[in-house]
Amino acid sequence: MNETKSSTNILVELATFYIGDALCGMDILKIQEINKLMDMTKVPQAPSYVIGILNLRGQIVTIIDLGKKLGLGATDATLSSRNIIVNSPGEHVGLLVTRLSDVISADTGKIERAPANMGGIQGEFFSGVYKTEDRLIGILDINKVLRLEDQGH
Amino acid sequence: MQIEDDEILQGFIEESLEHLADIETDLLAIEKAGANIDENLVNKVFRAAHSIKGGAGFMGLTVIQELSHAMENILGMIRSRKLVPNPEIVNILLQGSDKLEAMINNIHSSNDEDITEHLIPLNAIAEGTALQPTAPKPAPEPVIEEAAPEEPAVAEDVIQEPAPQAAEVQDIPEEQAAPTPIVPKPEPIVPLTSPTPTSTAAATTSQPPQVKADTSLRVHVSLLDSLMTLAGELVLSRNQLLQTIGSNDLRNAEAVGQRIDLITSELQEAIMLTRMQPIGNVFSKFPRVVRDLSKQLNKTIELTIVGNEVELDKTIIESINDPLTHLVRNSVDHGVEMPADRKRVGKPEKGIIILKAYHEAGQVVIQISDDGKGLDGEALAASAVSKGLISTEQAQIMSDKEKINLIFLPGFSMAKKVTDVSGRGVGMDVVKTNLDKLGGQVEIVSEVGHGTTISIKLPLTLAIIPCQIITTSGERYAIPQVNLEELLRIPANQVQKRVEKVGNAEVVRLRGNLLPLIRLADVIEAERTYWDSAEAAHKPDKRGSIADRRGKTSPLFHANNEPQEEENITNRNKRDLSDRRYTASSALNIVVVSTSSMKYGLVVDRLQDSEEIVIKPLGRHLQQCKGYAGATIMGDGRIALILDVSNLAQMAHLTSIDGTDRANEVAMAAAELMRAQKDKQALLIFRSSEQEQFAVPLNQVERIEKIKRSEIEDMGGKRVMQYRGGSLALISVDNISAVHPLADQDDLLVIVFNISSKPVGLLAIGPIDAVEITTEIDGVTLKQPGIMGSIIIDGHTTMLVDVFEIVQTLYPDWFAEKPVFEIEKNSGVVPTILIAEDSNFFRNQVKGYMTESGYKVIEGADGAIAWDLLQKHADEISLVVTDIEMPNMNGFELTETIRKNPKYNKIPIIALTTLAADEDIAMGKAVGIDEYHIKLDKEKLMTCVHDYMKRLF
Repeated sequence: MNETKSSTNILVELATFYIGDALCGMDILKIQEINKLMDMTKVPQAPSYVIGILNLRGQIVTIIDLGKKLGLGATDATLSSRNIIVNSPGEHVGLLVTRLSDVISADTGKIERAPANMGGIQGEFFSGVYKTEDRLIGILDINKVLRLEDQGH
Repeated sequence: MQIEDDEILQGFIEESLEHLADIETDLLAIEKAGANIDENLVNKVFRAAHSIKGGAGFMGLTVIQELSHAMENILGMIRSRKLVPNPEIVNILLQGSDKLEAMINNIHSSNDEDITEHLIPLNAIAEGTALQPTAPKPAPEPVIEEAAPEEPAVAEDVIQEPAPQAAEVQDIPEEQAAPTPIVPKPEPIVPLTSPTPTSTAAATTSQPPQVKADTSLRVHVSLLDSLMTLAGELVLSRNQLLQTIGSNDLRNAEAVGQRIDLITSELQEAIMLTRMQPIGNVFSKFPRVVRDLSKQLNKTIELTIVGNEVELDKTIIESINDPLTHLVRNSVDHGVEMPADRKRVGKPEKGIIILKAYHEAGQVVIQISDDGKGLDGEALAASAVSKGLISTEQAQIMSDKEKINLIFLPGFSMAKKVTDVSGRGVGMDVVKTNLDKLGGQVEIVSEVGHGTTISIKLPLTLAIIPCQIITTSGERYAIPQVNLEELLRIPANQVQKRVEKVGNAEVVRLRGNLLPLIRLADVIEAERTYWDSAEAAHKPDKRGSIADRRGKTSPLFHANNEPQEEENITNRNKRDLSDRRYTASSALNIVVVSTSSMKYGLVVDRLQDSEEIVIKPLGRHLQQCKGYAGATIMGDGRIALILDVSNLAQMAHLTSIDGTDRANEVAMAAAELMRAQKDKQALLIFRSSEQEQFAVPLNQVERIEKIKRSEIEDMGGKRVMQYRGGSLALISVDNISAVHPLADQDDLLVIVFNISSKPVGLLAIGPIDAVEITTEIDGVTLKQPGIMGSIIIDGHTTMLVDVFEIVQTLYPDWFAEKPVFEIEKNSGVVPTILIAEDSNFFRNQVKGYMTESGYKVIEGADGAIAWDLLQKHADEISLVVTDIEMPNMNGFELTETIRKNPKYNKIPIIALTTLAADEDIAMGKAVGIDEYHIKLDKEKLMTCVHDYMKRLF
């Protein structure tokens, strides 16, 4: 996509993906792997954004529905949906997204603060917005997404 | 000073430092809370100080022991709320713990430390004398600073030296078995820093979070070798497997599969072995403990240790140390008697304590037995009652075993004085909590005079556990076999018969007992499903309750319609054979589980195999789900959740409906006791002649006076005496009753009553006594003028005197001006009174009062009958007189029922009670009782009845 390089700023690689219709991105270095294992075990009484747990080579991974967590509505598990496995302190956590998009190199200098009107649940999880030629990518703050709040959404 | 066993010493240092690290933050929290004492927190610090004291005691670290003892004293006072922690006190405690830490880090010279500057303020607080605020602060600081520079050098000595030595010690028993050379000194520590789990057999990842674990572990090199060999074999098998898959050779695949199965189990065992340590590591310190302690107490005790070689998981070994120390010390201190006492009861002077470890049914049992005086259940119960831990009623209905188990209650201690050795009431509850954490069970068997045996059952390991797999809502769950009692399947045609509903709770009859049922799907809020075996599929279940009775009420409430029910079933069967409730799929699968406090049935969709599973922790997003103890990976790669049965019970609020049969039993017995107590009648027993015993209701008696016969004056055919400036009319039972005449003696008693607002004295002789009786009064056999009836008290037939009647007979004019209700004058209708009373005697008494005054009476033997009568005779009844304690429907309930009905809610209700407690009166007023009267107080009752009647007519 947009490969323009600015001389002064550092480039980060962003993995981009769709949550519903929203294009989001996150630092690719935070991602351990991406898979399409959908054979999850439901956990009754879990917070609603947890869709289940998964056996990832002998380790139990909690899968979070990013759409629900961000207040964008439940993500349907389809053929194109994927789990993005990220490292969280002491464990791995999977983020279910609607489908994957490209990996882009983003100029950190061009990442803008999240617009002020992006309030509510979503605003709190986005660290900024990156503008490509034709699209806006919301950049997720994964640490905030994984943080436990006192009351689950 | 000399310290014999460096390994033990090091263990003590590590443990104490751990305790001290916690003490500081906890003390600060206590300071913050101030007068609002958090008992758990204080208990925790108290136990920490206690543990340090105990450890220091047997290692001869007298100064540390002394200081921690002084601190413990203060904490004990805070715990019992004799002392409010203020910053000053906490400060002194903190300085004390700093000093302790310094001394423990510098353990070899700790006995030479001077701790008086700590002891003085500590003891001052303990004795309640005023603090000297300036003194303690500057003093300790230089000491700590002094100690600090030395610290690193000495500490290094302590920690590094013992390691190789200990390795040798530990290796000796194994050396005989395996000729492999002992590991050279630098190598014995094989760091197993929590390995990244690459295979499911990596059991080490799932240590229970509450047990602090070391970061390194000593493993024998031969074990490591065998692990290496197994790993090699596994690699070979993998190659074979890949080859087989490549060539699509199915027959060979089976063989390879078996091979991998075998190697995996061996590997699992070998890896588990690396975590296994001989219990001898813990046992080895006890000879010293027993020796020192018995010397200190002047007892002679021989300790026998059996089963040093029994191995347990490392985490268990670490956590068993504290509880075992407490138990052994208890045996020495409280169990074995003094030599002189032993001789007196014919036992050898030397006491015996046996410490034994052995395998039993896949668990390890540790037994501590002594041949001492044993535990006296009665004494324990009495002590618990006096401490306010249980009520007298509870104590009365406890079994012997339950009484002995009282020693596990927090704050319970049998020692008459607080000693240095034990007996602060910390020991046993610490033991229990620690063992509960490990999934262990304690059992005490004790015979007074013959000794006590305490058995601790422990799981071999915490990482791999056998589980029962079940299915509910299409997901598999594992239930640890430790909690599993039995599996129960109720065939479809018996479900209705055996499952019953009590309120909202479903219960099943299991061998004569009621077992509460919980539906797993409901507790974890999953969709209710059932397993349709015909179609091999889970289907949603829409029934409201397990034994859906289609609106028919439970036989528990209407016990007499059984035949009708049978008929219904047959009818329904004919009508609707395809109804799922009568096919195999509606059979009920129940897993009967038990936790430490209760037993209940978990209703699940399907029962599956029993499997050994590896516990894996759940992610932190799922920590809020209390129903799961973790998760495990099943053979097909999917995950099953492990159920935490005690939390499930809590989630289903089982605790509040009393899960166990025993709890029900106790509750019923307690209720019965309460009932009996409330229905008690207090009587004053006296005699008039030597031969006959009499009684009067105690609440009618005003006073009892001792008089001489000469004081009695006979005036105009009536006996009187001077009393408080007036004359007191005297009567005796033989005045109107055919009983033996008043005894002819000089010393007499006068029981003073107040009848019709005039004092009357009843002449009597001793012995007098006040008793409470619950037995039914016989109102027929001995009834005669002046005698209401009779009862048996302590084997004596006792006649109940009707003082009112005697006075009425002797002094009829006293009642002349009494406003007798004149029925005819007002309306010509005879007012009717409804009496509800379960005791025949009292009912007849009250009825007598009423009919005598000209009322019509309808009587009911309990509240329910009275209610029926009231409805039948609604137009006639103008007043209700009811007892409070009655079967079926008590007075409160009756009143409530009456008041709820707009037709009757104007009827005055008078309650009669034997015991008018304030809360009862309040409760009565709340439900709508108009008046309270004491049973047999005829005068007041009748005045009240007259008043109401006057208002009505």
